[in-house]
This record gives sequence, structure tokens and C-alpha cells, in this order.
Amino acid sequence: MAVETSYDLPCGRSLEQLWDHIDAADEHERACPHCSTARHSLRALREATDELAADRVQPRIDLTERIMSAVRAEIRGRGEMLPLDAGDTLQVSEQAVAVVLRFAADEIEGVRARRCRVRAVGVEDGQTVLHAELTVATTYRDDLAELLATVRDRVMAACAASVGVRLARLDLRLADFYDR
Amino acid sequence: MGIEWAIEEPVVAGIAAYAARGVPGVSRLETGVGGLLRSWGRSKWQQAKGITPVATDGVEVSVEGATVRVRLGIATNGLAQAASVARRVQREVRDAIVRDTGLTVDEVAVAVLDIEPASTR
Repeated sequence: MAVETSYDLPCGRSLEQLWDHIDAADEHERACPHCSTARHSLRALREATDELAADRVQPRIDLTERIMSAVRAEIRGRGEMLPLDAGDTLQVSEQAVAVVLRFAADEIEGVRARRCRVRAVGVEDGQTVLHAELTVATTYRDDLAELLATVRDRVMAACAASVGVRLARLDLRLADFYDR
Repeated sequence: MGIEWAIEEPVVAGIAAYAARGVPGVSRLETGVGGLLRSWGRSKWQQAKGITPVATDGVEVSVEGATVRVRLGIATNGLAQAASVARRVQREVRDAIVRDTGLTVDEVAVAVLDIEPASTR
């Protein structure tokens, strides 16, 4: 399965966007701490790959994907981590969980996920308990309550299936309508 | 005549990486920028000597005497529960290191850095 890279940075920018114009950053990318960290990492790796490009021994297959993956891991490793056990040895990236929740909402026709924040509130019976806040935009329709109930069900199901923790509370914020 | 032997960190890292990759639900090991650069350096040095190194990206090992601590970054495929996968990685890595080296494993820490979204439909 391909990784959904459009969810790379908390600010909404993707690594591919940064990579495409890494030498001509716009105002947001210069000011945003997430973009700045990612650009710094991408530049360091580009310099390293310039050396590798001259080295014919080194295979270059999937090089870009490895760079993107490393930068993504770097960003997530420095971000908020949520516990997966009562100790401190099993953790999951808050951003990784947020991607799962946003993707579940995005799959519903007429729904676009926006921001998502997740926090751990404790561990009960060996299982981590999370609270999440998800902001969405939807198409304007007369069955809005039903649609939001579907979003809630899908997001809860995705959290249980792909993360394996209990999402005890999900606050949905409807931020906007959009045209079909 | 006595024989002394020592297990160095890249060996433990190779064992840990192999064990972690074998756990169902692990799609890859996740390394940061520093880890990728270190892996390229190690790879170039070993290729110059005509050997292909075992991939250990995403694994950090510290060995002190006969005690070892391991940290792994993983990505899971979204079809399995990341929490369950992480627990099993922790168990399999610990068992593999003890079995293959005889070292005492003080800690195996696992961080899930990516979960590939799976359809809920």
C-alpha cells in the first residue's frame, strides 16, 4: 500500500511540495517550524545524495523514497508521542494516529478532514485511552447529523482497527461547507 | 587456552532488524535523517570491501558489557493494530537477541512512527 504523503506535516504541507521548490521557499515555509525542520533535513540529505550520485557503487533505486521516509520519521520522532503501554517502552506518534483518523473521515463522500489533534488520557486495563478532536468540512446537505454520525463511527472503527487503542472521546468540529 | 569473544552493536542491530521485519503487520523499519546518513556511510565502507551489509535502518543499539538496550522505529501496514504489532516486535526482538547472542536485554523500546491508512469501508 502506498503511504499517503499528503498528510506529512501538521501544517498541511506535504514533503513533496517542499521538495519540489526547496530552493525557493515561500513565506509560509520560511516561517513555519514544521516546514523549516523538514527543509533542513531535505537539504542535508540532498547534499549527501549528491555525493552518492558520483559513486557508481551505490544503488540509487528508491533513493527519493528513502529520503522522504527518513524526513517523515524525523519529524514524527520529534513530535508528540503517545504511550501504548503503562511503561515507557512502546509508543506511537500522535501524527501517525492523526493520519489514520483523518483518512477514515476523508473516505466518506462529502467529507474533507482538516486538522486533527490526539492526546492520551491514560491507560486502562492495559489499553491506552485517547481523546481526539477532528475538524472537518462537508458538502451542504439536509442529512448533516447523519453524516457526522457516520464520520464518528468510521473514525472510531479505524482507531480500533489500525491503532488498537480506545478512542474514548471524539470531538467533531464542522469548520466549513464546500461545493461538490 | 581461554577464548574471549564480544558481540558488537551492528551485529545486535542486524538481529533486531531481521526479527522486527518478520513480524506480521510491520511494513518497514523507520529511520530518521541521522540514521539514514549513518547507514549510507556504513554501506559505502562495506561495499568498498565487496560485502553487502545487512540493513539495520531504524534500529539503535547500545551494548554495555553483557547488557543491551535497543530502540526501534517501525511503520505498520494499517491492517493490523499498531499496538499489537509493537508489542510483538518487542517480544520477538528480545527473544532473538537472547537466543542468538546470550546477551542480557535490558530494554527493547518500540516507536510506531507511521501507520499506513487502511480503508474502513
